[in-house]
Parts: sequence; structure tokens; C-alpha cells
Amino acid sequence: MKKIIIAALMVFGFGRVESQTPKGSVLIKNATVLTVTKGTLENTDVLVENGLIKKIGKNLQASNIQVIDATGKYLMPGIIDAHSHVALDAVNEATAPITSEVRMSDVIDPYDIGLYRALAGGVTISHALHGSANAIGGQSVTLKHRYGSGNPSDLVMTDAPRTIKFALGENPTRVHGRGNGIQPRTRMGVEAVIRNGFNEALQYKKAWEDYNAALKQKGANPIPPAYSERLQSLVDILDGKVIIHCHSYRADEIYMLIKVCREFGISKIVFQHVNEGFKVAPELAEYTMGASVFADWWAYKFEVYYSTAYNAAILMENNVITSINSDSGELIRHLYHEAGKAQRYGQLTDEQTLALITINPAKQLGIADKVGSIEEGKQADLVIFDGHPLSVYAIPQMTFVDGVKYFDVNEDSDDRRLKVSATEALEPIYLKEHEHRCMHGVDFFFTNFGRNLFTHEH
Amino acid sequence: MLNAQFRKKVKLLVMAAFILGLQDLVAQSDPKGERRVTGTYAIQNATVTTAPGKTLSKATILIKNGIIESVGTNISIPKDAQLILADSLYIYPGFIDGASSAGVGKPADAERPANMDPSKPTDEVAGITPWRNVLDYFDKNNSQIGDWRKNGVTIAQIVPEGGMLPGKSAIVTFGHSSSSNVIAAQVGMSARFRALGGGRGYGVYPGTPLGIMAKYRDVYKNAEISAKHNRLFASTSGLARPEINKTSEAMYPVLDKNIPMVFEASSDIEVRRVLSLQKELGFRVVLAGVTEVDNVISEIKAANAAVLLSMKLPEDKITKAKTEGLSEEMMQRTKRIQESYENMLKQAAKLEAAGIPFGFAGLGSKSADMLKNLRIMTANGLSENGLVAALTTNPANILGIGKFAGTIEKGKLANLVIMTGPILSEDAQVKHVVADGYIFDYEVKPKKNGNEAKTNGSGNGTVSIEGVWDYVSDTPAGSSGGTMDIKRDGNGYKGTITYDSPSGGGKASSEMKNITVSGNTLSFSFGVAANGMSLDVEVSGEVNVSQFTGNLSLTDYGSFPLKATKKPNQSNF
Repeated sequence: MKKIIIAALMVFGFGRVESQTPKGSVLIKNATVLTVTKGTLENTDVLVENGLIKKIGKNLQASNIQVIDATGKYLMPGIIDAHSHVALDAVNEATAPITSEVRMSDVIDPYDIGLYRALAGGVTISHALHGSANAIGGQSVTLKHRYGSGNPSDLVMTDAPRTIKFALGENPTRVHGRGNGIQPRTRMGVEAVIRNGFNEALQYKKAWEDYNAALKQKGANPIPPAYSERLQSLVDILDGKVIIHCHSYRADEIYMLIKVCREFGISKIVFQHVNEGFKVAPELAEYTMGASVFADWWAYKFEVYYSTAYNAAILMENNVITSINSDSGELIRHLYHEAGKAQRYGQLTDEQTLALITINPAKQLGIADKVGSIEEGKQADLVIFDGHPLSVYAIPQMTFVDGVKYFDVNEDSDDRRLKVSATEALEPIYLKEHEHRCMHGVDFFFTNFGRNLFTHEH
Repeated sequence: MLNAQFRKKVKLLVMAAFILGLQDLVAQSDPKGERRVTGTYAIQNATVTTAPGKTLSKATILIKNGIIESVGTNISIPKDAQLILADSLYIYPGFIDGASSAGVGKPADAERPANMDPSKPTDEVAGITPWRNVLDYFDKNNSQIGDWRKNGVTIAQIVPEGGMLPGKSAIVTFGHSSSSNVIAAQVGMSARFRALGGGRGYGVYPGTPLGIMAKYRDVYKNAEISAKHNRLFASTSGLARPEINKTSEAMYPVLDKNIPMVFEASSDIEVRRVLSLQKELGFRVVLAGVTEVDNVISEIKAANAAVLLSMKLPEDKITKAKTEGLSEEMMQRTKRIQESYENMLKQAAKLEAAGIPFGFAGLGSKSADMLKNLRIMTANGLSENGLVAALTTNPANILGIGKFAGTIEKGKLANLVIMTGPILSEDAQVKHVVADGYIFDYEVKPKKNGNEAKTNGSGNGTVSIEGVWDYVSDTPAGSSGGTMDIKRDGNGYKGTITYDSPSGGGKASSEMKNITVSGNTLSFSFGVAANGMSLDVEVSGEVNVSQFTGNLSLTDYGSFPLKATKKPNQSNF
């Protein structure tokens, strides 16, 4: 009897400790389904059961679940933003050139209204990155926009692989070199910091391997080496367990990091921003997991002048896995417009264009087997638009994550904040918040360089 | 214990006598009359709440040399007892503040080595000083202690000032200044999410909650490794000697679960961060200064974490806000803020309803608001028994001192709060506090009636405050001072105060606001602009002819003693 009680307690206990995120069931009827990977299906039904896409077809039936008539509407996969800083309490631990030990999952702000705004723009997944102050920044986290519970861990996409932020160029050299007088002061220094980090990680790995091997020997009393999550995270990168997402602009430094990664046997790397990516497109295609770019944003600092609105199209035509990201709490609300710009300049097909904000960022985050397209068996992250999402007139109508509706344009009350101040009628709004947040938390040490160089802070 | 202390005192006096070259040992006879006549007191005929929910009427408490001898209705009074007639009074066990900064000074800023790499600061510079003992920074004569005692606090866990791991806490009693007043040292490891920053450029590592979370893991896991190395070295020959690291060594009692981490966490998000570290690393935890619980109650219960709720409540800027004439949107916004504000007042009630035996933390709140805030919490659902438990038995259990503190029982330490009415009654004032067996008496103000409510200006019998005052205030940042120039303005006063400019160099000045004189109490407030923020400073104290003694309190930073002297009026020359 006692045993049974204990067993029962364990079963129930575990169920409660590992809180389950909500999973929904819904039948969406008669939509134009933009699967992204399997073409466009007219007048098609999508059946979602318990958070997963169960069936795609015509005349589907289901009992006891909500049915949504989407006649004349478009259904596309939830938009995925491969570069965001939404729902974070802190973005930059800008105090050391390598901070691979810090975790964005520690500082998730589940109350950030930015999550709801993103949902209203059809974005169901965002990649919450560390900022770009450090050559090697923190471990990022992939968020599913399950807005509402106030529990940060409910937002984490637990089945996404680990990712980490790297940064090249002006930001790390300004912060550490000019700001603090330490390495890196130049682009050469950034490379040296990264190489030294990896070499130290190799030594760290060996120290622990030797220790663990010695432990197995009878009568041995090995002394454990010092612990360093900073180096362990770099070891995990070398072991292929973590995908690098590297802030970069210039072709030369992109190529530099490709070479460094090849030298250390690292193949899981995505470049972020990549404004000069079009110059090294074949190399990006061959050696990396792709490039995540802006549609037409540049010239906010010196290293971002050589840019083109054709970047995404050139990369794509060169078989680089390409995505378009927001890096902004404002752009995240209309990434479908941003993708549309790439189509306008580069004459991409609709399917290629939608891939920029769905399956391609999913590939870059290592989650393409779970999300990013409308396929049976995938997680039911879906958006219904009233028109084709690449039309400037289209407006998202409903957004689902795991089959649960988190946004409905018809039930969109004015105040969707989860939590409000107990004292202030008007909470402070930072005028710069709509700008890119890569350098969030990092004040500029030099202020006399002229406004134009520094007003945008990726 | 007391006997030993008494002997020690005598010994000191004897030594002092020798040093002073006195020929006869008159010191033993207490010529200055410092020693009290008796340590035995009988507090008679009071309504005594001996423990939450247990009240005796017309009961007498007999105290002898710091210990409660007996409590009851039929007690024989020894001849040497000093009688305190308490017929109309209400007595509660002395309140226990679960986490306080009263009397705790700030350590000097760590010296930065020349050419220090800000990414690799020394532990001191980074705010990691777990080896520090709060008692080394504790001033038992600091006026803050009197301020809290006046509100009934007799025992407190004091936590050190500093950065993320500032040092070890201690339990002290707010008793007589002749004692060290220490009950237990090194009882908890103080921790908080605080980056020290500073330096040029971007500050030192760790500078944000990101780095701080990582640094906690780093410190804890390396302490585990260090402990392991020590154990191996002690038992095995032929091993490299352990590198002694005082941060790691100081963490050993935490690793061994001998002491908890006393972790300051205000919002539910911070509470979750602490609990996630606790889950990962396995330390015992006390959450201190919590202000928001409703979203984390089940997690707190699951982690079996002790909770010390903040005594601070948000300022009410909203319940009386005017709504007429507002747009529909602003009306809705205002309503949400009102709900949010009211919800903040219900946090204690919610903890009680969830069955979490919480205590209170005075940390970061003002002593003058203590009883007022506690009554607001009870008006918002906290029961009287819940309140008394949160002030007495619960914190006693959390601090592990339930054996000798928290209730009024034979054998417990003599700590009592003696009030003029039941604790929840608005009019109830603290008349006496017994702390460590010593009686502290307080002036009880007559009940306010409409006629003589606030004497704004020169009411009858009020003191004269006009003139120029020189003041000095001791803050953790050092001693600073300036002048207060007070002039009559119609029925009230106006004035200007100068102070050391926060931006460095010279003096800045502000207008003194709400200058109020009531009896011989002078209070006023002023605003200081610092780093683009506006700090509200409140000053309150007693005027005695040309001397002013009081406190300067900064909302989030605690209160500091302030003394002022009126410059002689020129017409007097």
C-alpha cells in the first residue's frame, strides 16, 4: 500500500513540477494554406490536435473542438524572428569580451508587452539574443510566444537547441578596446579573443577529461580542476552542441570567422545582419547555416555603409539559408512587410519570400523539424491573415502557438498588459526602444562622434 | 549569560579606574548611577498575547535579568521587583525583524588595483565578500536601532551592506548599549541581485542580472570543488596543496547547508531567479524583502523556501486620483493601477491564505511607516493572528531562535511590546518596549482630536525654528552637511537647505517642503536631483532650544542620523 502511495505521489508530483505549457486543438476550415515547403493549398482544412498539426486536407471533420471558418483567408506558419531582444530584462553583460557563461534564459521578462505586439504581427517564435557588446556574448534562448502566464519558463522552447551570440567589428572593439582599454581594440583583436577562447576551452576540456579518466582508476585521488561555465560553453560549441549566431557586417570579418570555425571544426554557425554578405555568398552557402539579414536597413554606423536591399535575394540565389529578422520591438510587428521588401528588390517568389521569415529562420535555430512550415506532425504555430501576407494591405487576424490562440484581432482589447505599476499612471516609455536593441544597456563612451554614427545601435 | 556580562563590565570599570589613577575602587559602587536598580520587573494586570491567538486577561509578567520568569494571573511578586502597572495595556511578544539593515554601516569601497582589468575584477571590487561578518560593520548605538525598537522590534537579523554576496548576517537584540547585543553571529549568507558597477566605461563584471546569475553558479560550484580538494588533501598524501581562496572557504557553511542563503528578492521574477538557482545548486534559502508573491506562491511552496515579506508598501498615489474628465482610456488605465496598488496591499494576506508561515523584513523600508503599513496589510485581509505570527513566531522559526524568542513564556528572553491598545487599533501606540530585559519608555501622545491636529506654524507651546541651522548627517557615504535656513511664511514656514552636490564639487540647495512643527517635533522634506533622478529626502526629529536631533531618510536607502545646531541670532549679539 505504502509503495503504491509513493508511486502515485511521484507520478502526480512530477506532473506538477514539470509544468506543461498549454496545447490546443482547433480545426481551421477552407483557408488558402501557404505551407511554405509544400506549396499553396486552396480551400484546405488544417486540423490541430493537442498542439500538433494532425491533418491537412479537404472536408476534415472533428468533434468537440473549435472550428474556425477561414474562407477567403490565408493561413501561414507562425513567423519566426531569428534576431530579437523582446521579453528580456537585460541584454548585454558588456563587462567582459567573453561571457559565454551568461544565459538569456535567466533574464526572461514574461510580462513584456512586446510579446503580445509580436503575436499581433503573426510572430510565434523569437530568438532572444544576447547583445553585441562582446566578441563572445551570452547563451541565447528560443522563445515561443505563450504570452500570459507570467512564468518565464513557459516561454522557453525547450526542444530548441542551444545557441550563443558572437559579435565582430565596431561594437566589441568600442566597448572593450576604447571603453575599457582591454583587448579587443581592433578587428584583429576580436579574432584573437575568439581563438584564445577556443584554445583555452580545449585545455579546459582536456583537464576535465583527464580528471574523469583518473577517477575511474582504482585508488586514484585526482583533484578536480576549477569549474568554468564560460569555458564549458565554448567546449560545447566545439563539440557541436551549440549554434553560433554572429553579429557581423563586413565581408572580410565574416570570412575571417568562417576560417576560424573551420580551423576548430565548427560547422554550426549563422551570421546575423551580414550587410556585406552578398560579397561572400558562396562561402556562406558552403560553410555556414546561413545569414539572417535586414531588408533595407543600413548606414547607422561606419561599418554598415556598404549595403544593399538586394542582399537577401543575392544570398538566397546563392543557396545561402537566408532569413529576415527584426532586432527590434517595432519591426517584429510586421516582419511580413520586411520580407516583402526583399521580394520587391530581388524578385523572389512568394514561397522564397515567406521562407525568409518561416522555414529558413527555423533552420538557423535548429528547429525546422518542428516548426516553420505547415506540415502534418509539426507544432501548430499558425497565423491567419485576411489577405495574402505579402500584400501591404494584409492584417493578421489570429495567431496560434501550439494550437492555442494568443491573438485575435476581433478580441483585441485596448490594454493587454499582464502587469501594471502600482503607482504610475504613465509608465516611462523610452524613445529609443523602437530602435535596434543589440547595444541595449551599453552607454556610449564616446559621445562626440556625431549623432548619425550612433543613433542606431545594433 | 547576564552574570558573565555583568562581571565583565565590572572588570572593565575596575580597569578604567586603574587607568584613571583612582586610588580607591569606587567604580564598583557605580558612582555615576549607570547601573539599574533592579533587573526584576513585574508588569501587572495587562492583556497579554503570549503567542499568536493566545491571549490572557489581567495577566502579570515577571521578568528577571533578561528572562521571563513567569506569566499568568496568579503570580507572587518578589520584593525587589519594580512594578509596572499595565491595567489598560496590551502586551505582545517582542517583534522580530527577519532581515534588517538597522545600524549596519557600509564597508569602504574596495581599493582598485592599478590597471585593473574590469572584466576580471577582484572579488571585493565585484561585490563578492562572503567572508565579511556584518557585526564588523554594526553600530549598536546607531539611532536607527532606537527607531525600530520604538516600533516594537526587539530582535533582528541584520544583513551586511555591499554587493551581490556582501557577507554573513547575524542576529542581534535591540537591547541596552552596555551589551554587545549579539545573539548569534554568521547565521546566514546574505545575497542579492546587485551589481556594483562603477569604473569608467562599462563597469566591472558582473554588471547585470545576466552576469550575476552566472557568477552565483561560478562561486558556488568552485566552492564545492575547493571543499573537495581540501578533503582530499587532508586524507591523502602526495597531492598538490589546495589554493586557499577566501570566497570559496566562506561558502562552505552554505554548501554544508549549515546556514541558508538570505537572498533579497523583491518581484516575483526575482523570486523565480532565486528559486531556479536554489533548484540548480541546492542551497537552503530564505527570500528576504519580497514585495510580490501572487504569481509564485506554488513555486515558493514547492521549494520550501522561507519568506520574509517586505514591510514597505507602494506609495498611494492613485486611490484618490480624480477620474472625472478623463478619457475612457485613461479611466481604464487608472482603474488598473488602482487594482494593482490594492493588490500590493494584499500580499501578506495571500501568503497567509496559502499557508506559508512568513515573517517580515524591515530592509529598505522606513521604521516610521512600520505599524501603519502592517495595519494596512491587516485591513487588506491579513488576520490579527497572522500578523502577530509574522512578527514573532514565524521569524523566530525561520531564524532558528524559536527556543528562546517569539512568545511570552517562562524561560524565554524578555522581549515585549507594550501598547496602549490592541495592535490593530489605529490609536494603539507603543508605550514601553522590553528588549533583552531592559525597559524603554516612550511618550504616548494623546489621541488626536480635530482641534489640535497639525500645528502648522506657531501653535501654542511649539518651539521656535526660525533661523539658520548648521547640520551634519552621517550617511554610509560619509559625513556631509550644510545649512537649513528657515523663515516664517504666513502661518507656516519656508526654507532652503544646502547639501553636498551629488554631482560632486560644491553645494547644491533645495527648497524645504512641508515644514511642520508639532510639539517639539520638526519635520520637512526636500528633493535632490542626482543622475537625472529625483530623490525624496525626509527629515524628522526633535528640537531642543537650538539643538535638533533627528533622522534623514532616503526612500530606498534607509535612514541616517542628522544633527543640527541653530546659529545664534544676530540680534542677540
